[in-house]
Amino acid sequence: MAQVEFQEVVKRYGSFEAVKSVSFTVEDGEFVALVGPSGCGKTTTLNLIAGLLDLTGGAIRVGGRQINDLDPKDRDIAMVFQNYALYPNKTVRQNLGFPLRMRKVPKRELEEKVNDAARLLDITHLLDRRPRELSGGQQQRVALGRALVRDPQVFLMDEPLSNLDAKLRVQMRAELKRFHQDLNATVIYVTHDQLEAMTMADKMAVMSGGVLQQYDTPERVFEEPANVFVAGFVGSPAMNLLPARVVENGGAVQAAGEGWELALSPRNAASARRASGDAVILGARHSSLILHEEAAPGCIAAKIYTVEPTGDLTYAHVEVGGKTFVISLDPQRRIRADQPVWIEFDQDRLHLFDAVTEQRLPPG
Amino acid sequence: MDKRRITRWHVFGWIFLVFLLIYAVTPLLWMLITSFKSQFAALQYPPDLYPKNPTTEQYVRLLSPQNDVGRQFLRYLLNSIMVSTVTTILGVAVAVPAAYAFSRFRFPGRKALFFSVLFRNMFPAVVFLMPLFIMMRWMGLVNTYSSLVITYLTFGLPLSIWLLKGFYDNIPVQLEQAARIDGCTRFQAFYLIVMPLSAPGIIATAIYSFITAWNEYVYALTFLNDDQKLTLPVGLQRFFTEYATNWPGLMAASFIMSVPVVAMFLILQKYFVRALTEGAVKA
Repeated sequence: MAQVEFQEVVKRYGSFEAVKSVSFTVEDGEFVALVGPSGCGKTTTLNLIAGLLDLTGGAIRVGGRQINDLDPKDRDIAMVFQNYALYPNKTVRQNLGFPLRMRKVPKRELEEKVNDAARLLDITHLLDRRPRELSGGQQQRVALGRALVRDPQVFLMDEPLSNLDAKLRVQMRAELKRFHQDLNATVIYVTHDQLEAMTMADKMAVMSGGVLQQYDTPERVFEEPANVFVAGFVGSPAMNLLPARVVENGGAVQAAGEGWELALSPRNAASARRASGDAVILGARHSSLILHEEAAPGCIAAKIYTVEPTGDLTYAHVEVGGKTFVISLDPQRRIRADQPVWIEFDQDRLHLFDAVTEQRLPPG
Repeated sequence: MDKRRITRWHVFGWIFLVFLLIYAVTPLLWMLITSFKSQFAALQYPPDLYPKNPTTEQYVRLLSPQNDVGRQFLRYLLNSIMVSTVTTILGVAVAVPAAYAFSRFRFPGRKALFFSVLFRNMFPAVVFLMPLFIMMRWMGLVNTYSSLVITYLTFGLPLSIWLLKGFYDNIPVQLEQAARIDGCTRFQAFYLIVMPLSAPGIIATAIYSFITAWNEYVYALTFLNDDQKLTLPVGLQRFFTEYATNWPGLMAASFIMSVPVVAMFLILQKYFVRALTEGAVKA
C-alpha cells in the first residue's frame, strides 16, 4: 500500500479544462472519496491515476514514484468499474486469475491467491460460473476480487455501488468499509452520492467544475463547508441558504433580507465583518432551525409551503424571503400547509459565506 | 407449454413461408436431381421427377484429375478457392482494425471517412466495370488474381467494416480499460479480450467476403481471359458452351460449387444473424 500524491494535476480536452490544477495527498491506508455532481471531473481524475487518460500538466506520485508516463499495467493499481467490466467469456476463476496470469505468476501461486480471494469474498461456490450467470451483488464481489487478488498499491473504485438496488447497496457499503479496515488498503473511491462518501471515507475530496472545492474529513466537510457549493452539496437535505445584507445598527450587527432581519450573535457578527462587501449568504442545516407556531423574539416570520413526513422525521418546507427552507421536525408535531410560522436560528451552528467570493467566513 | 392462440395471421404467415421455401428450394432440388440423371434422361420430355437410373458419372468425371474435363474443373475450383480465400483473409485483416479504430478512436475526419467508406455502395457494381478495367490495365494487373482480389476487397470492405463496427460499439470500453490495468498492453487488451468477444462478427464478415468473392461473375469475366486462371462461375459457363450442353454435368458442377457456400452458411448462420442484428440495434 502506498501514499498517492496529486500535484497541480491538469487535464484539458482542447480548450475545455476538465480538471483544473488539483492538488491533494492520500495517505497510506486512507479511504478517500472523490465526490461531486456528474461532470465535475472526479472520474477523469480517477482515470488519470489509472493511466487511462494522459495528464496535460502536473504530476501524480504513488509511493513517491512519479507515474505520469507509465502504462496502466505498470502502475501497480487495481480498479473496480461501475459496470464491473468482468470479462464475459471467462469464468469467475479466470476473471480473478487474469491479472496474475498477465503478470506471469506461477500456476500454483495463482490458484492459491484466487482461492484466497474467493474465500475472503465468499464467492468460492461461483468460481466456475460465467459473469452473466451471477446477480449484481455477486458480480460486484467478483470485480472486487479481481482487484484485490494481486495486492496492488492502490485501489481505484468508480461508483462501484451505483448499479445495485438500494438494499444491496447499503449492505455492500458496509462490506466495502469492513474490507478497507481489514486490508488497510489505500482506496480512492469515486461517487456522486455524498451519503456514500460521508459514511465510508476517511477523507472527502469534493469537486465541482474540475476544481477541488474542499479536501478534509467528512465531519469537517459537514461542519465547516469551505464554500457555498460544498455547503449545498454535502448533507441531506441540503443546507438552507439565504442571501442577506449586513447592516450595522449602532453596535448591533444585523442580517437583513426582503421583509426580515436577524440580529447576529457576536460570533457571527465577527464573521460577517470579514465579508468583502455587505452581501453575505446565511447557511443553516435543517436540524439547526427551530420552528415556532407563535411569534417569538429573534425569529423570522415565514409560511409553511408543504410538509413531508418520512416516519423518523418530518420535513417542513418553509417559504422565507423568496427561498424555500427545509426544516426537520419531531413527527409528533402537527403542522399544516400555509400556516404562518416563525423560524429561530441556532446561532452557534449558523454558517456565513461571502456572497461575492462564495467562500466561508470563519467565525470570530 | 406455451399456449399461444393460433390466429388467422399465423396461418397466413405459415402459408407464406411455405411458398417462400418452395420458391427457394425447388431450383436447388431440381439441380441436384438433374445432376444424377443421364444426359439422355435430362432432356426427356415430360421430365422425370426423380432419376430412374441414378448415376454419379458426372461427379466422378468432374472430380477426377484423370481426364481433361476433370482437370479443367478442378483448376477452376482451385482458382476460386484461392481468390476467395485471399480476399477473405485480407478483408478480415483490414476490416478488424479499421472497424475497431472507427469504433474507439476519435480522430479528425472520422465521420467523413466512415461515410466515404459507405459511399461506394451508392452505385451499382457494373458502373465501375470499365473504369476499373482501364485502371487494372494501366497497372498491368489484367489477367491476374490480384485484379479480382483488389476489386472484391473494394466492394466487400465497406459492409465488413460497418458490420464489425456495430460489434465493437457494443463491447464496453471498460473491458479494455480493465484489461490494461490488469496488466495488458493496449494490443493485448484488444487481442485477448476484445477479439474473442467479437468473434461472431469476424466470422460473419469472413463468410460475407468469401461468398461474395466466390459467386462473383461479371468482374471475373472481364478481368480474366487466360483459360487456366478462370474462376468457377466464369469457368463453368465457358466450359459447357464449349463441350455442347451437358445439362447433368452443368448441374453437378453447379452443385459442387454451391456446397462450400451452403455448408459454411449452415454451420455459421447463428453468428451471421447475430452480427447483422447486433449492428442493427446500435445504429
